[in-house]
Amino acid sequence: MSPRKQSQIFDPVILVTLGIVLVTVAILLAVFQSDSNAVSVSNNSGIMSQLIVAFITGLTTGGLSCLAVQGGLLASSLAHQIEQDYVEHAAHHKRHRGKKSQPGPRSNSSLPILLFLVAKIVAYTLLGALLGLLGSYLTLSPATRAILMILIGVFMLGNALRMFNVHPIFRYFSIEPPKFITRYIRRTAKGTDTFTPLFLGALTVFIPCGVTQAMMAAALGTSSMAMGAALMFAFTLGTGPVFFIVAYLTTELGSRLEKFFMRFVAALVLILGLVTVNSGLNLIGSPLAFSNLIRGLFPSQSASAAGNTPSRAEIPEGELVLYVQNGGYFPQTLKAAANESVTLNLITDQTYSCTRDFVIPALDYYELLPDTGTVQVTIPAQKQGSRLFFTCSMGMYTGMIVFE
Amino acid sequence: MIKKTFKIPDMTCSNCAMKLESLEDVLDGVKEINASYHKLQMVIEYDESKLTDRQIIAAVKKKGYQAILS
Repeated sequence: MSPRKQSQIFDPVILVTLGIVLVTVAILLAVFQSDSNAVSVSNNSGIMSQLIVAFITGLTTGGLSCLAVQGGLLASSLAHQIEQDYVEHAAHHKRHRGKKSQPGPRSNSSLPILLFLVAKIVAYTLLGALLGLLGSYLTLSPATRAILMILIGVFMLGNALRMFNVHPIFRYFSIEPPKFITRYIRRTAKGTDTFTPLFLGALTVFIPCGVTQAMMAAALGTSSMAMGAALMFAFTLGTGPVFFIVAYLTTELGSRLEKFFMRFVAALVLILGLVTVNSGLNLIGSPLAFSNLIRGLFPSQSASAAGNTPSRAEIPEGELVLYVQNGGYFPQTLKAAANESVTLNLITDQTYSCTRDFVIPALDYYELLPDTGTVQVTIPAQKQGSRLFFTCSMGMYTGMIVFE
Repeated sequence: MIKKTFKIPDMTCSNCAMKLESLEDVLDGVKEINASYHKLQMVIEYDESKLTDRQIIAAVKKKGYQAILS
């Protein structure tokens, strides 16, 4: 029996099942993200909820998309270790031949993965601090963020199509580190087994994945060194489990299953890419964004009554009311009279999600709403039949005002 | 010294290029290897008296790839 076969003590089927279960849990966490915000936050926990969102983003999307971009570096750091382990394993087996067999030392790929991830967390936390510091001098407008998101989304889509081997052109979406870096890394890899994954983990700072880049933009937007560092720490920590499990599986399983995982990751990155591009389109108020297209095609489905809640009675007749909740904007479609200015009342009530970061792209309006209260926006007169889109600063939650 | 280009059709990422370039440290007589995932190829400069095409192809195969002399 070859050492490679002997090293697979865990049943691959169990490991694959474990991976699928974890990814399912991650998806469920993403789905119930808004609810968890509502439950876990208190008045003084706006920062905490931001960190939780960063952690969950890392746990759900960041881990896989990072792996697609940075997996190569990790595999490179593991290759030498695993090769060495197999040689030791084979030697151990040879020495103990004939004796009653004791389980030999199995391939320990978990240690280099852990070291890699620790170095990655430290490096990204420092990067977050640096970005936060930089952000205190710069401010990203929603439009800039939208362009950044669209570019990131296109990068993710390109990478997914590359992984699916759709066309050779998509290979250029894969970042090839400069030769002097790869050469240096290789020479270093021949040294101690501890230093290599640590060094490579830190090196991932130079090849951030799409989601990481989005989080870096968010860290920049915090305009605070401590908050930037905390945000990147929470996100990178979140990427850890998925990164660890998938990396562990891809190094421990055969190439056939590795290909299956790459396709799985490619499919997820493709979906994430589409979501990111869509968020960017939302953020610039494009009617081509998926939700806006749907609302345009089926206006009756998204429109709902604004007068159902008691707070509506306190608002003067003729003014618009939008309830800004943790799970989105209600109603998603508002109707207003054309050719005259209108006042929009934004009502928050213990709202801690990104819906608070309210944007009307066409008016270049951006406001961080209080977690509880009412903010009024005066909307200038709009032409009949025109539509004004609004969104949260992440492009996740959207809605529109139709002028009739 | 001679420079030859091998097509490596089954590279899947940039890391494959790194792995192939590591043959520099393994094969005797190699001066330099430049592998590219974008081009799916490996350019190798080596001493013909010390190394043959067949040995290169075998070493590449050991790394898990197929090399075709172009």
